[in-house]
Amino acid sequence: MTFDQVLEAVSGEPVHRSSRWVGQSIRHVVTCDLMSDVLVTDHDEVLLVTSLPSDQVARTADMVGACGVVLVNGKAPQPSLVDLCDQLDLTLIRSPLGSFEASWHLGQRLLGKE
Amino acid sequence: MIPIDPNASPSALLELIYRLKVKDIMTGNVKSAEKDTPLREIQKLMRENKVSGVPIVDDGRLVGMVSVDDIIRALDQGYIDSPAGIHMSRQLVVLEDDMPVSFAISSFEKHRFGRFPVINKQRELVGIVTSRDVTSGLLLEMNRTLEEMERALNAQSAPVPAGQVKRVFLVQQFDYENAGRASTELKKLLNDRGVDRPLQRRAAVASYELEMNLVNHSLGGRLIFHIDVDRVTIEAIDQGPGIPDLAKAMTEGFSTANDWIRSLGFGAGMGLPNTKRVADAFDLQSTVGKGTHVKAVILLKVVEGSAV
Repeated sequence: MTFDQVLEAVSGEPVHRSSRWVGQSIRHVVTCDLMSDVLVTDHDEVLLVTSLPSDQVARTADMVGACGVVLVNGKAPQPSLVDLCDQLDLTLIRSPLGSFEASWHLGQRLLGKE
Repeated sequence: MIPIDPNASPSALLELIYRLKVKDIMTGNVKSAEKDTPLREIQKLMRENKVSGVPIVDDGRLVGMVSVDDIIRALDQGYIDSPAGIHMSRQLVVLEDDMPVSFAISSFEKHRFGRFPVINKQRELVGIVTSRDVTSGLLLEMNRTLEEMERALNAQSAPVPAGQVKRVFLVQQFDYENAGRASTELKKLLNDRGVDRPLQRRAAVASYELEMNLVNHSLGGRLIFHIDVDRVTIEAIDQGPGIPDLAKAMTEGFSTANDWIRSLGFGAGMGLPNTKRVADAFDLQSTVGKGTHVKAVILLKVVEGSAV
């Protein structure tokens, strides 16, 4: 899955595009509001979906090697989170969908059903 | 009197409030007025410059002060068009620009004024100090001092053999603004050395878990990275409060985090168990009232016969 397909799946808008926007493939999605739980995941090419708009979301995504973050429930990111995504070269997408709906659409897309 | 106990305070803080001078924290370029300036103009000056007090000068010398209270009284009693010289406060407490900041702090404690004019040795007005200037001045200087201490800690370490890297980071309790900064640095160092992504991830996760533990649970401490050709060792050393029950702390799901920490996405009781999970070697020592020392080793290469 590409970032353009993620945008389409979650009806999202890009808040920050990383240098890897084009060409980055996404094979896993982790949906979680508890960063402690995100830290126990172990995947490559992973996208983090969360409704938590704190700076630690970007830090956590960077630690687990995620390529981007989808902020759901229409939450507006703080400027500090956008700055951090820029520093860490992470893509940040904002979606009006809730966690479950966004995850379902991303799952369908990963399984080739959408 | 400064509002801290000099005998029980860290010497670095005391040194700071005596070393910093009033001129280092004051706002210069003060908007002042002359004695014959009408109070109405001073009111305009306050509004335009968002200040709550205007010093009145005569030939560069400070002679009085007009505060918001004086303006309100003038509006109330109908003399807003009178010259400032008649109604200004003449009983002034001033600070000198070469005084230590400790003087400014004790003056705020003693007089409960919102601001103090600052004069130089020639008795000329050179600035104004508010309690906000003191707070932001101290914070900026503390930040600079901490950065210097971090640099000194890194520099004073024993010479590191070629191919090895040692980094020390000071981590403050509840400093969520910088939480994770050290771990980001570790990840960058490993990336620059061409370490595989899964190994980078394991080291970064171990480091980040320990760093967040320092921020969430300790009274502050140090995060130390030793990067060698075959391994990275991460040490988290804090000054307390210590862990009363190590077995419980290593149990998944056990956490002493409060709701506030949980609202930030942490405190699931996974920090130490997860650090152990990603590490090739893990050691935890803790004494209540003294502190905790955690060590996690991640092997970067398989070394036969190597004891981690």
